[in-house]
Formats: sequence, structure tokens, C-alpha cells
Amino acid sequence: MSGLVKDLARLIGDNNVLFQPEDLLAYANDATHYFRTQLPDAVVLPSSTQEIARVQAYAYEHQIPVTPRGAGSGLSGGATPVKGGIVVDTKRLNRIVEIDRANMVAQVEGGAVLQNFHRAVEERGLFYPPDPQSMSVCTLGGNVATRAGGPRGVKYGTTGNYVTGLEVVLPDGSVIKTGGKFVKQSVGYDLTHLMTGSEGTLGIITGVTVRLVPLPPAHRTVIVVCETLDQAAEIVSEIIARGAVPSMLEFLIKLAITVMNNYVSQPLPTDGEAFLLMEMDGTPAQVESDVQTIKEICRDMKAQEVLEILDEKAAQSYWNARSNIYPLIMTIFNRCTSEDITVPRSRIPDLVRAVQEIAASVGIMIGLAGHAGDGNMHPTVLQTEINDEMAARANKAIELMIRRGLELGGTISGEHGIGIHKQEYLAWELDQVQIELMKRIKAAFDPRGIMNPGKIWVEGGAQ
Amino acid sequence: MLKLENYEAIINKCSHCGYCQATCPVYLEDMLESHVARNRLNLINQVLILKTMPSTPRFREILDRCLLCTNCTQTCSSKVPVDEIIIAARAETGKSTLGGLKSFVMSKMLQQRGLTGLMGKAGSLVQKMGVAAREMPQLASKPFSQIYSGTIPAQGEQRGRVAYFVGCGTNFLYPDTGIATVQVLTRNGWEVVIPAGQVCCGIPAMAEGDLAAAREMVATNLNLFDLDNVDAVITDCTSCGMMIKEKFSKMLNPEDPLQEKAQAWAGKIYEITDFLQQQGLSDRPASLYASFTYHVPCHRGWSPTVVDAPRELLGNLPGAELRELPDPEKCCGAAGTFFMEHRDLSERIRSHRVEQIEASEVQTVITQCPVCRFYLSASLNSQQVTHPVIMLAQAYENVSQE
Repeated sequence: MSGLVKDLARLIGDNNVLFQPEDLLAYANDATHYFRTQLPDAVVLPSSTQEIARVQAYAYEHQIPVTPRGAGSGLSGGATPVKGGIVVDTKRLNRIVEIDRANMVAQVEGGAVLQNFHRAVEERGLFYPPDPQSMSVCTLGGNVATRAGGPRGVKYGTTGNYVTGLEVVLPDGSVIKTGGKFVKQSVGYDLTHLMTGSEGTLGIITGVTVRLVPLPPAHRTVIVVCETLDQAAEIVSEIIARGAVPSMLEFLIKLAITVMNNYVSQPLPTDGEAFLLMEMDGTPAQVESDVQTIKEICRDMKAQEVLEILDEKAAQSYWNARSNIYPLIMTIFNRCTSEDITVPRSRIPDLVRAVQEIAASVGIMIGLAGHAGDGNMHPTVLQTEINDEMAARANKAIELMIRRGLELGGTISGEHGIGIHKQEYLAWELDQVQIELMKRIKAAFDPRGIMNPGKIWVEGGAQ
Repeated sequence: MLKLENYEAIINKCSHCGYCQATCPVYLEDMLESHVARNRLNLINQVLILKTMPSTPRFREILDRCLLCTNCTQTCSSKVPVDEIIIAARAETGKSTLGGLKSFVMSKMLQQRGLTGLMGKAGSLVQKMGVAAREMPQLASKPFSQIYSGTIPAQGEQRGRVAYFVGCGTNFLYPDTGIATVQVLTRNGWEVVIPAGQVCCGIPAMAEGDLAAAREMVATNLNLFDLDNVDAVITDCTSCGMMIKEKFSKMLNPEDPLQEKAQAWAGKIYEITDFLQQQGLSDRPASLYASFTYHVPCHRGWSPTVVDAPRELLGNLPGAELRELPDPEKCCGAAGTFFMEHRDLSERIRSHRVEQIEASEVQTVITQCPVCRFYLSASLNSQQVTHPVIMLAQAYENVSQE
């Protein structure tokens, strides 16, 4: 056992420190396993904010890199300990502390699993909309750190729109509580929302307070079958332009439906090229009227078919399959790299056309399964083989798509974060003044540079 | 064949999404990511396939600390057969450090049925190990094989003929399940054939990575049954069912002449309640008068309807009150012989299950797995645990009393 491990065991108990390589391997990457470069030196499994603070103070004193970790389900490499050091696993801080109906807020520990939280609030007739597709495992703290979104973003926004307060262990081990249960606050800088999306580079999120909304009493799933990708994209734009607001509006190409059909109880028709999977929610009357609007739009735009899914179980199975699209696609391909480009919603048709052109010109398959309703497409580069040539083509396609997304007035990441996956593109979107400002903020929080080092920007990279 | 080399491609189908964390009973207890399928697979890949890491006691421990419950494989939409890869890895790393009792059960008892002397010996071994009697299965005074064998004719008009594969749980621990199975089948017009000389389905040996022993048992069973003249093979145990449906063929070489028989078994195997529900009851039981809940066994993935059948068969009978648990499919922690080697872990997993059952305040828990039945019984004070087919048989008795 190294001195580091002994010290950590003294701080939080030897049952809560992992140091054997067989265990460390499990914490060496997130869902982007291809970014794994080395093992951490130790993993700690604390059960309280105080334990995390002790570890953090120790790491600060000894200048040891610290990588915070939730479920390790991220898609940007954010939880990958690229400099070794200590991985702080927050999953044992998983209590739902309070669901406060009078104030329509809830407080949870950072490691609470989103799906458990969803269940708990929905049992009380309340609703916490953010729904990253890893919700069966991902943690609220991780959601805040990555500013996670999901299909419901189109109507309800993402994690950042719900966070009202945080408890954070800062790099030197001090603990701050930002915000609170109130829905508004105008006191100095908004540290709550600075921490939101900070990707573990400013501190460890150990407590989260979020706003809740009433659970909509009714919802209905509608699936639109389209002849072409362009047609589907045009329908999305028209739905937004006419002011209909589905609670979810997903764009799926035929390939996505084909793999989803292996998962659902009632397979969908596959005679279209693109599909829109939507849910309307609200009062029964509102749902009914929204469905009629959608049907009218689809008729006007000559969609191939509109399916209203009245069977609750079947509808849920489509949404579950949607959540699993990333692992489902792996039944066919050997690597899929999911991009997170988000454009102003009127530009969805342009982006969809651009992705098809890029796929054809580079000679690689690119799947489209995205939250089209909020402009957040996930063009996914699909590799049948893993070799240098395919990797080069994949990179080329990604670069072209990101450039095109930016030209369309978009952003390189809607909800996954930068991590290591997109750090080389950061300077394509943000000017140097902003990046330098961010670095000065980072230095103010973390003067020793120990918090999740090697993320967001390329260290020593092009200035 | 469950050889690791056959899984080298599919192991890379794991997308590392980590969704397997949601349903792994071991992970949810320890919260160590090294115990989740994603990381077990990665570790097996590094140690045994890529050979970038040495095989160590900790590696073997991580392999052993898996229930083979298949919850991860059922959750995995990349369809990685995690259980088979772990079994193949166990086979490749050789003998585990099996305790005396467990290896005895494995090698002697399950292969040679009807040797009653062995049972006494097993009993004394249990005592030697100092395990509380309640925490070890009690052997039935008379194994099922001494109660029924041969051909039992259908009552009334015959609808068809089925072969009954009697699992070890029913034979040694719970002959009442077997008796009820025969009674309900014959009552509903099925002639039941019970070939003599049946042995264990092989799943415990396979789980240990002792593939040679498992193959031997599979071959013995395949050779005993003549499937040409039966409509179905019936099991009352979901684990035997999974073994027969999904693994029999994989225990044999691809060119083994027994492959054809293994395929025939896979095509005809049904869990008893699943079979009855699909075929329909010709003789209708009229009443049940019991509150019960359904503990769904983990080995359910081999039939899409096996979890609906008990609910549909029993739930709508007059007087029946089915109260669903918050998580009906949560593992009880027993997992074959896992609980003998990992008592503390298994007891912690079980405690959540027991808590939910006690809170439901039902009279009876039904489950189609004899190990779940035993293991839950050992910890429940106010509820009896039984097989749904036993409840169904009782429902018929209620009718005849009226």
C-alpha cells in the first residue's frame, strides 16, 4: 500500500479506499472508454460531505489531482482521470434529503440517482423534468456538473433551469452552500449557475436543491413517419414555428427505428426514412388540442403516416428504447461517437442536410437521433471497424459537422459538456477573451490546478 | 461452447454506457464499480484476452462475486451475454476456492440422485461448518423421484403428452412442487412422462466454470428423454428452464451429435405456469382466498411470458388478492449456491427483499425458483413462500370442498 492509500484510509476508513489495479480500472473512464489513458492512483468512496472535504483538503495540501465521479455515464470523458491521482466517487451520497411540496423544491445529495428521484417526486404528484437518457443510473450531482439535458429540454429546459442551490466542496476542502430554496436571488455573483456545467473543474457537488413543477395529468405519444430526412426536419421547424410545444420531440432515422424495434413490444413500421417521436403533455384538453395541431401540420406537410400511441405500455417501451439507443446501436457497429451539436431550431433542416452531405463526402455512416425539438441533434459517427483509417474519417466528419453547426449559429455542445472529447474545438466557438476569462475563474477557485485537470481546454494548447 | 475465445468480439460490443449499474444486486449493495458488468467485462478483456494485466486473487474474487442473476444481460441493450463471459472466464481461470460443502453438493449430490446416504452426509457436513440449520436447505424426507416416476395418465379427455424435467430443488427440497405440477397437468388433460434417471440440469456446475461436469449432466439428460412423442418439456424451475433453453446447446461442441437434441429441448421447454397459461386450463379452479405477492425470479429472461403467467393464472381467481411489491423483480441474493460462499453479501441483498415483502403484509409469497423459495423462507416469519403451481393445486382443492 502506498503512502497515499494509507493516508486516505486514515482519513475515511480503509474500507472506503480502493487501490488494487483491478478496482482502479473500473474508474479509469466514463462511457467514452476510448479516452482511457491511465489508472487513477486511488479511488475513494466517501459517504458524507465531511469525508469528501477531508480528502479534498489533503489533496490540496499535497497537490494531488482529484477527479470527481458520478455514475461514469458521461459522453465527454469528463470523469476520466487523465492525470491519475484520486477519483472521488460520489455515489454513496445518494439520499433524497427532502421533497418540500410547500415550496415546490427538493434537496438531494450529489450522488442521488436521477431515476430514483424521478420516482420519488412523481409519487407525490410532482415533476422534475430533466431527463438525460442515462437517467436509470446518472446522478444529480453529475447532471449539474455537465448541465445535462434530455428530450424534455424542448418544453422544460435542462438541469440548469431547475437548480436553485448547491453544496460544493471547493478544491481546498472548504464547503460552500450557494443559493437556497427560494426561486429568486440577487446577491452577488451567481455561483450556483457558475458551478452548473463546471465539469468538476471548480469543486465537487455534494448537495443539490432543485425546483419542481406539478406533474402534468395527461400525456400522449405520437410518431410521425416521414419519406425523407429533409421532410422530417421541415416538420420539426414548422411545429416550433406554429407554437405547438411537445414535451419531447425526437428525430430518428430509419436505422434508429430498426434497432429500437428489437427492444419494443410493438415494432414500428420501417417504410419511412425518418421518424419523429413526440410526446404531448398537460391537461387532457390541452394534449388533445396539441395532438390535433400536430396532425394538421403533418397533413399540410404531407407526412407519410401519423401514429397516435394510445397504449401506455407500448408508448413507454418506445421511450425506453430511445433511452437505450446508444447501446442498441452497438449491436450493429463497433464504435459510435455521439456528437452534441445544437443549432437554432429554424436551422435544423440545414443541419440535417449538412450531416448527410458530410457523411457522403467523407465516406462514413452518420446516424441521427436527436432532440430536434430544442435544436440539439446528436449526429453519431458509426464505425463498423476500429482502425486508423476509419478513425481519421470519423475525425474528419466530426470536424466538418462541428464547423457547419457553428456556421449555422449553433454550439458544439448542448448537454454533454466539453470534457476531453471536445476540448480541441472549444476555441472554435469561444473567442480568446472568453477562454482566458474562464481560465482566470478556474485559477481563482483552484490556484493549484488539482480539480479535474486536463479538461475543457487543451492545456498549453493554441491560445 | 462457453470458451472465452468465442466471446472476444462480443465483449467489445459493451458500449461502456454503464446502464448495468441500475440492476446489479451486488453493485447496488457494495457500490463498487469494479463489481458492475461493464467493468467485469473490461477486466476479463484486459486479463484473459488482451493480457495487459495479470490474473490475481482480486481478479478471481471479482469473478466470483457475481450472482449470475442475468439482470445485467437483461438490462443490456447491446445484448452482451455477460453471464456466459463470466462463466467462460471462471472456466479459464480454473478451480475457484470452493468450500467443502459446496464442492460436495456440486460433484456428488447433483450428479447422483437417489443415493440417500449422500444426503445424510451432506447434513453432517452442514453441521460441521457450523451453519445455522435455518440458513441451510432441509432435505425432504422422501425425494420426488421416489414419489412419482414413469407415466401418469391424464384425467378425463387427454389433450396431449408432456415430459417433466424434475429439477434438483423439487427432487431434494420441495417435492410438493412436483406433486402439484403432476396433479395440475393431469387434471388439465396432460399425460405426464417422468423418465427415470434424470440428473441435475447442470447449471450449478456451469456457474462454477466446471464445464466438463455440466456437459456430462446435459448429455445424460438429453439421452434420457424421447422428445418425438411429447408436446412439451415441463420444468417448474426458472433456472432449469434457462439452462435448458439457452445453455444446453452451448455446453456441447458445435459438431456434437447431441446438438440436435439440445435444439429440440430448447424448442419444447416451458415453465409449468407459463405452459398452463398458454394452453389454457380445461378444468377451472374456482377460488383461492389468499393474499399473495410474486417474487419474480432473476432467471426470467428466457421466456417473455414466464413472469405474467403466475399473475394471470392466480391473480383473477375469486378471493385472490395479488399485491405487487414495489420492485417485484429484485434479486433475493441466494443465486444457487452463491449465498453459501458470500453469506454477508447475500443476507444484505435479501434484507431489502424481506423488508418489501413484510411491508406488503401478504400471507403468501409465490416464486418459481426453489432457491429463492428456500432463501426467502429462511428469513420470513409471517409469510410462507411457495410455488405458484402449488397455489393453483390448492385452488382446485378449494373447489372440490365446496
